[in-house]
Amino acid sequence: MVDTAAIRALRTMDLIPYILENPGVSIKSLSERFSVTEKQIESDLQLVFMCGLPGYTPYELIDIIFEDGIVSVIDPQVLDKPRRFTKSELIVIALGLEILIGIGSPNPERNQKLKALSEKIAKLGSSNSVSFTPSGNNSKYAELIAEAISKRRNIQIKYSSLVKDQITDREVSPQRLYFMNGNLYLSAFDYNKKADRIFKVDLIVQCEITGTKNNEADEETIESLRVVLKVKKSHRNFIERNSSIISSVTENKDSFNVNIDISNIEWIRRSILSNAPGISVVSPESLANEMRQIAASVLALYQAE
Amino acid sequence: MSSQKTERLINLTLALLATKRYLTKSEIFKNVTGYSGSAETMERMFERDKDELRSMGIEIDVKALDPLFEDDQGYLIRSETFQLKGNEFAKDELLYLTMAANLWQSTALGNDSKAALLKIQSLSGPIESDVVNTPEIRDSENSSMLATAFDAIEYSKILTFQYNGSVRVVEPLGMYTKTGFWYLVAKDENSFKSFKLLRIEGKLAISGKHNGFKKPENFDLMQYLEKMNREELVLAEILVRKEQAFALRSKYAVSEFDDDWDLMVLPYNYEPEIIETLLWYGENLFVLKPESLRKSIKYFLKEFIDG
Repeated sequence: MVDTAAIRALRTMDLIPYILENPGVSIKSLSERFSVTEKQIESDLQLVFMCGLPGYTPYELIDIIFEDGIVSVIDPQVLDKPRRFTKSELIVIALGLEILIGIGSPNPERNQKLKALSEKIAKLGSSNSVSFTPSGNNSKYAELIAEAISKRRNIQIKYSSLVKDQITDREVSPQRLYFMNGNLYLSAFDYNKKADRIFKVDLIVQCEITGTKNNEADEETIESLRVVLKVKKSHRNFIERNSSIISSVTENKDSFNVNIDISNIEWIRRSILSNAPGISVVSPESLANEMRQIAASVLALYQAE
Repeated sequence: MSSQKTERLINLTLALLATKRYLTKSEIFKNVTGYSGSAETMERMFERDKDELRSMGIEIDVKALDPLFEDDQGYLIRSETFQLKGNEFAKDELLYLTMAANLWQSTALGNDSKAALLKIQSLSGPIESDVVNTPEIRDSENSSMLATAFDAIEYSKILTFQYNGSVRVVEPLGMYTKTGFWYLVAKDENSFKSFKLLRIEGKLAISGKHNGFKKPENFDLMQYLEKMNREELVLAEILVRKEQAFALRSKYAVSEFDDDWDLMVLPYNYEPEIIETLLWYGENLFVLKPESLRKSIKYFLKEFIDG
């Protein structure tokens, strides 16, 4: 897309305060940050030489030095501060602050500052038509884990596994934290399992930073089982939540047929049971039978009294 | 696109920003480089430039300088509407703003996140990335859909889309997230409804222009959401097998019931949700009270077994 003169004018004006605060920045880095080619940045900067305040003597022109791919601003004229945030930028910031508040920090001073800042942003006009609700599970180790990631340290955790329903000790090398479907996850290399694993951060019940260790990456090969499920339309949440492991979906009148490759049989058992009768097993037959037996023994608990 | 015009737009913005008093058109034509030609040509140029800057969100103030002559208007850009102030945010606040904007980098809101970060760094200078190592957000939403919905809400534009097999023509009022999914709140045939963005089939189309409808005065997103969540909490009494259901135990207290079971009380307001949570633990727990919840669980299990 070719930029309009107005878009180019705004970008050029945005360049000045950025370079002013980041003196000696390279053309290459500017091109990455402003999402245009290096050539475009150079031609925007050429333009700046002609711009300034009425009078247009050297004293009134914007003055920059631009040499060997490195730029600095000598005199920004009135462009010494960035433009105000747009409405959608304020929304992004406001939502982000809500998440940071939601994650919670063991440091009460930080939480207070975050709340005050979020009110300040609201006053700047972030929209009141958007509301972001984090899952609300306080993850008290999120900050510690983030620290371990940036310092490339391992952590020793006690993990309350939802699938196995037991607490285990693990030593892992944390790789990254991310939010998905409102929950905070940690992807990490698990030394006991010798494989990458995903942990739900709010299920980490204890965590401390240990030493550094190299990834011994002889990963365990996981065999996967192809399962075909019938998911009623009322239970399509299941499909939306697990889209990353579903290989295909076909639509019927009031249900979907879902092909899914499972590496964790315990997980699929629990998922099917907790969605009963919204999800049923089409194949393999052995899993279908097993699920009926599990359901029957749960039902027996209610009939035994 | 000619550089001349870009140059003129920048010079016009700078002149209007630097001036303490309102500038008349003739002052602008005389002093700002780039305006040339006949009076009408310059007039047309100026009107177009002004409209373009405004369409990019720049506020240009206009004031009649002489009440008797409507033509004699003055123009300026107020610095506080254009630029952030140097002391607007403290140093640690800039750090938090960076973290907040960083979260969205790899999502549908990535472009706004990047633009916001540029502005923050134009106040703060470089920030060490180690300090701001925050989680990123992975979402499954379609970016154009989110942007369209934001735009439609902001400028009161009517939205048309296919949902649950029928075409909806709605007045969008707000957006919210729940368990990580985006929802659109809109007025659909005289009632307020929530639409899960992911379930919108095909395209989310804007029909009509700015201010295509009047935002109802009695609507407030926060109140709407509160009302949705306010439904009364019911307490369920359940028995949990010893040494089982650790995730539940970490959230709710238990008391000893007998040698095999502990008693747990947990609040809920939406039956399908609590059933999903409880059945996850299979044989390791069952519900004592309320009877309605027991009944639903038994019914669901029988349905499941009978296929």
